[in-house]
Formats: sequence, structure tokens, C-alpha cells
Amino acid sequence: MKNGIKFILMALLLSMPAFAFKQNDIESGMKGKIDKVLVVLKKKESNTQKGQQIISMMDPVFDYNLMSKLTLGSNTWSSITPNQQKEFMKIFVAKLKQSYVDKLDLYHNQNVLYKGVKPYQNGRLQLQTELSGKGETYKINYNFYNSNGNWLIYDVVLDGVSIVQTYRQQFAGILRDKTFDQLLVQLKTKK
Amino acid sequence: MKITRLIFIVICLCGISYASSEDLKTIENNNTLENHDTNSSSFEEEFGDTNKSAVFDPFEKYNRAMTTFNDKLYVNVIDPVARGYSKVVPEGGRVAVGNFINNLYYPVRFSNNVLQFKFKNASKETGRFIVNSTFGIGGFFDIAKTNLGWEESDEDLGQTLGFYGFPEGPHIVWPFLGPSNLRDTMGFVGDTYLNPLSNTKEHSINYKIPQNKLQEAGIYSYEKVNKASLHLGEYESIKKDAIDLYPFLRDAYTQHRKEQIKE
Repeated sequence: MKNGIKFILMALLLSMPAFAFKQNDIESGMKGKIDKVLVVLKKKESNTQKGQQIISMMDPVFDYNLMSKLTLGSNTWSSITPNQQKEFMKIFVAKLKQSYVDKLDLYHNQNVLYKGVKPYQNGRLQLQTELSGKGETYKINYNFYNSNGNWLIYDVVLDGVSIVQTYRQQFAGILRDKTFDQLLVQLKTKK
Repeated sequence: MKITRLIFIVICLCGISYASSEDLKTIENNNTLENHDTNSSSFEEEFGDTNKSAVFDPFEKYNRAMTTFNDKLYVNVIDPVARGYSKVVPEGGRVAVGNFINNLYYPVRFSNNVLQFKFKNASKETGRFIVNSTFGIGGFFDIAKTNLGWEESDEDLGQTLGFYGFPEGPHIVWPFLGPSNLRDTMGFVGDTYLNPLSNTKEHSINYKIPQNKLQEAGIYSYEKVNKASLHLGEYESIKKDAIDLYPFLRDAYTQHRKEQIKE
């Protein structure tokens, strides 16, 4: 247990990014980032190359550690060993990033509309954006929490569907009749 | 009107009123420690308990089988047909067909906006229908949106029932139609009476387009293929996020509908 706490503290310290936003910069900062992402998307490079550039741009605003922890749920998280936590985080974060890169295929010159930062649950904030393309509009909301004055993303909500929640339900379902190690294997083998 | 709705909601929420009073307490607590939000219990609360027994899903076995059927149908039939179709018909044409079909759903959207007291949206829907049917050449062009900025307010009976506090009931996956739940299934059936693209036999209003169930199925399939042709690769890409496809789709559906009802 002590090790677990130590690890979480370490993870939190290491995850303190240098370029997170202050409260008032969330919208302008994200706008700057997303605009840069759109520029990268229009480049004529392979998706892997584009993906790497985009991920390195967005990395500092995401709290991947918290996201990993939330998708497992704190009960499961505290019941596994620090090594298992580390391994899960490695696999899960890689999966999140890969899934993001895969989505680049779906980009066809859509426009991003910024709807502003709104208060969200428990004093957290939500940046609301809309992606509009061929007749349809997708709502993409970024949920931020306050990490000692730095605002970090802990969840992305697409048309009402939360990434964290969807994984959380799947993991909880799997862990109902399988062990954590089996879950790790399933995560690794699933392409 | 509002008061009866409120009472209705209060009755529905009775069961979880204890939980919400707890919520209020934690919100108060949170206000006092504004600068420090690394406390995990408040996050746990946002996403709900993972330890609670499985989601209420009495049809899970059937739903899983039907999800596999729909998945195979999409991957092996709808997707290849849509790909071929997209090579023959240019994108502009497919968008226009999509607009045309969508315009015909106006009676469904209008009535459900009214039923939810969204009168402003209901009149906007009427405006959209008139403008698109005339200047948009029978609905092929959504000029109400592109030129006037009148966005569609997509409401259906499932959302209306949800708006009145009707619980979603068990999740049901229908062949061809995809994920649904008891509430939305009832809503879907109710909407078919108003939907000009479905055939309700002797109960049909005069504006119904299909003369029988076969024609209805034909129109529905064409609508599906046309839609798929505008979203090629999306399903496959989303599917990659699933570790287990059925609960993934079930959960995404439930969350998405909740959001639609909230709006």
C-alpha cells in the first residue's frame, strides 16, 4: 500500500507538465494547439508521422496517469501492484494514442468551432468545441481539472460519449469474471 | 405545466435522492479546497461506481449475438455496397440524397419538439422544412442551414419519453436497426406513424411514401447505404477502441442518448 501511494505521488510529480494551461488560457491555448493540429493534418505525410507530431503537441495538456487510473477505477487501481499499474499505464496510453492516430483518417477538412469554457462537475471545466463537416456536426468536449493551478485534460467527450467512461465500463465488465493479468493480455493482443 | 413535470421527475428520482444529497455535500466540500483537485474520490463520483454488480442487462446473451450479426452485416454487406456506390455517385449527390431523406423526417422532429415544449425549435424546424422544400429544391439542399444558419433540432419520441422521465429500460439490440433500449424502441414504433418513410398499413397518413413493407425496407436500406457511404471507415475506426464490442457499443449508445435527452 505504501509503495502504491509512493508510486502515485511519483507519477503525479512526473506528470506535471511544463506547458499546462492557467484557467484563463484554456480556450486560447487549446485553440492555438488545435489550429496547429489542423495545419499538420493538411500536410502530405504519412499518418504515423502526422500522428507523432500531433501527439507531441497535445501530450503536455493530457493527464494520462489520471486517465489510466480513472478507467480502472480507484478500487482496482489500489488493489494491483505498482508494477502492474506501470504496465497497464504503458499499454493503455499507447492504445489511446494509437486510437487517436487512427482517427486521423477520418479528417476531411472539417471546421472547428469553439463554444467556450463552461463550468463542469465539482468545479472542473469543460471546453466545448464542434467539428462540422459533410452536413453533420460532432460535439467534442475536453474536460479539464485543476492540478495546482495547471489545468489538465482528464477526459474527452465525443457527442456525449466519454472516453474514460467507455473504457471504465469495459474494464469493469472484464474484471468481473477475469483477473487483472488476463485483462492486460487482452489489452495487449487486441489490435 | 412545469410543476407537473417537476413532480414527475421528483418521483422518478426518489430512489436516488439519498445519493444526490450526498453529492451536494461533496460539492460544498470541494468548494473549500479549490486549488487542489487531485482528490480521487470526487472523480470516482463523476464516473460512477465500478464495483456495483453488472449493468442491468437481461438480454445480454441475445444482444451479443445480434451485435455480432449486425457487425457482420455492416462489414460484409453494407460497407462494400457503400464503397461501390460512393465510386459511382459523387459526394455532392450523396449529400443531397441524405438531405432529401432527412427533410422528410420533418413531421417526427416537429412533433417531438412540440411534445418537449421546445416551441422555438419546432418553429425553426417548420421554417427549415419550408425553405429547404422550396428554395432547397425539394429538400436536396439544406440551404436553411448553410445560408440562414438554422440548425436542425433532432428530436424523436425516445428522447421525448426520456424528457418526461421515462426510464430507458433494458438494452435491446435489433437486427438491422442496431442498439436500442425498451424506451427508444417504443419511441421508434410511435414515430413510424408520423414518419413518411415508413408504412403503417391502414393507419397510414396520406403522405406516406412506401406502399408496403417491402418498399419501406428498400427505402430504409438505401438510406443506410447512402449514410454509410458518407462515413466510410468510421465504424471500423471506432470499433478499434472496443476491447469487447458489445458492452462498448451498449455503453456508447446509452451515454449518447442521455446527452441527446439532456439537450
